[in-house]
Amino acid sequence: MTASPFLLSRKATVTIPWVTTVARLVLGGVLIVAGGLKIGNPADSVVAVKAYQLLPDSIAIAVGYALPILEIVVGLLLVVGLLTRVAGVIAGLLMFAFVFGIAWAWANGLRIDCGCFGGGGQLGAGQEPTYLLDIVRDFGLMLLGVWAVSFPPGRFALDGALGIEGGARDDEEDQ
Amino acid sequence: MNTKGGRTNTMPKSAREKIKEQQAAARARDRRKRMVTYVTAGVVAVAAVGAGWWYSAMNSKSEQAAAQLAPVTIQPDGSIAMAQAGVNSPVVDIYEDFQCPACQELERVSGPTFKNLALEGKAKVVYHPITIFSQEPTRSNSLRAANAARCITEGKQWMAFHDLLFRNQPVETETGFTPDQLKEWGKEAGVTAPDFDACVTGEKNRAAQDAYSQRVIADQKIDHTPTVKLNGTEIDNGVVFSPRQLRDEITKAAK
Repeated sequence: MTASPFLLSRKATVTIPWVTTVARLVLGGVLIVAGGLKIGNPADSVVAVKAYQLLPDSIAIAVGYALPILEIVVGLLLVVGLLTRVAGVIAGLLMFAFVFGIAWAWANGLRIDCGCFGGGGQLGAGQEPTYLLDIVRDFGLMLLGVWAVSFPPGRFALDGALGIEGGARDDEEDQ
Repeated sequence: MNTKGGRTNTMPKSAREKIKEQQAAARARDRRKRMVTYVTAGVVAVAAVGAGWWYSAMNSKSEQAAAQLAPVTIQPDGSIAMAQAGVNSPVVDIYEDFQCPACQELERVSGPTFKNLALEGKAKVVYHPITIFSQEPTRSNSLRAANAARCITEGKQWMAFHDLLFRNQPVETETGFTPDQLKEWGKEAGVTAPDFDACVTGEKNRAAQDAYSQRVIADQKIDHTPTVKLNGTEIDNGVVFSPRQLRDEITKAAK
């Protein structure tokens, strides 16, 4: 880690933390919205998970209940920049799982709504699945997670203020 | 440098070491503090997820279904009423499709609550099995299942069959509720109607079910299943899927 600041141009050292901040806010914001829209209707969430036909019912039920709150908590951590690295890993894995799930549904010819932002995973009358769009979006969000994990914690992060991550390393090297 | 420095360095060296030690101690203290902050934040986050999960699970916890049922009556229009004698209000109308996954979830989570409330004489529960799907294979799956249910002439048998249909709901992408399965579940539900098998195979009630569904969907303005109404007003989904809140809302309307 000692070497990396010297390898990067001055411009990059200034820009990278800001990019991390933007990545955190976008990824965290989307997660909070997605979880918030689902949390009032755990039944929908369960049905949406079941609709993928990927998990046995008992596990799908547990995932359906846990997913909204997990999204909200991880989203909040990312937005405030606390435990950035761990939150980024979890968010990235979630997005990877969503990409995988949607691709699976597509490949198996299921006609479902991704249930990403609430709804029970059922398409309304005359609605068409939007698999490609969903996959591209979630893949992009996954990349934001990878970025946040690679360059934590960015500006305006509690991690930095508390000296937990990133900021802490700088302190030590200054001494 | 060796001979010269050896003497002059003795004093400053120990001082420097002292400073170094102090710095090391300060760093260790710092690291410990950071570790504590880190772990604390982690524990709080995990606890929040756990608490939310637990709350969701508790909120959706099903009641234990009583061993008996309130009297179940098959009504001429195709709906099925479940109520103790003389209980006419409040009326709980359940519009559901045997092929709809959210309806399956409703039956899993809140089905026992509806049955218990009817048994306790706290509500008259009316089931309206409609076919809301317009695409295949879900539409024909739903029509076959509903047709078979209409072949049953006795209330308790109908309820047992209704429960079996939801428990064995096929996935939405495949042909399911096949005549053979339906006849099998009829046997399991103790159906005694003599022409049940022929009625299932011949889809005797298919047209009636279709006409009934279209009429109910138009009259009641149903655009999603399940729809649950309490005295004609739709109950919010969050309440419908929370047995405890559902019981409270219906009991309140009974007063």
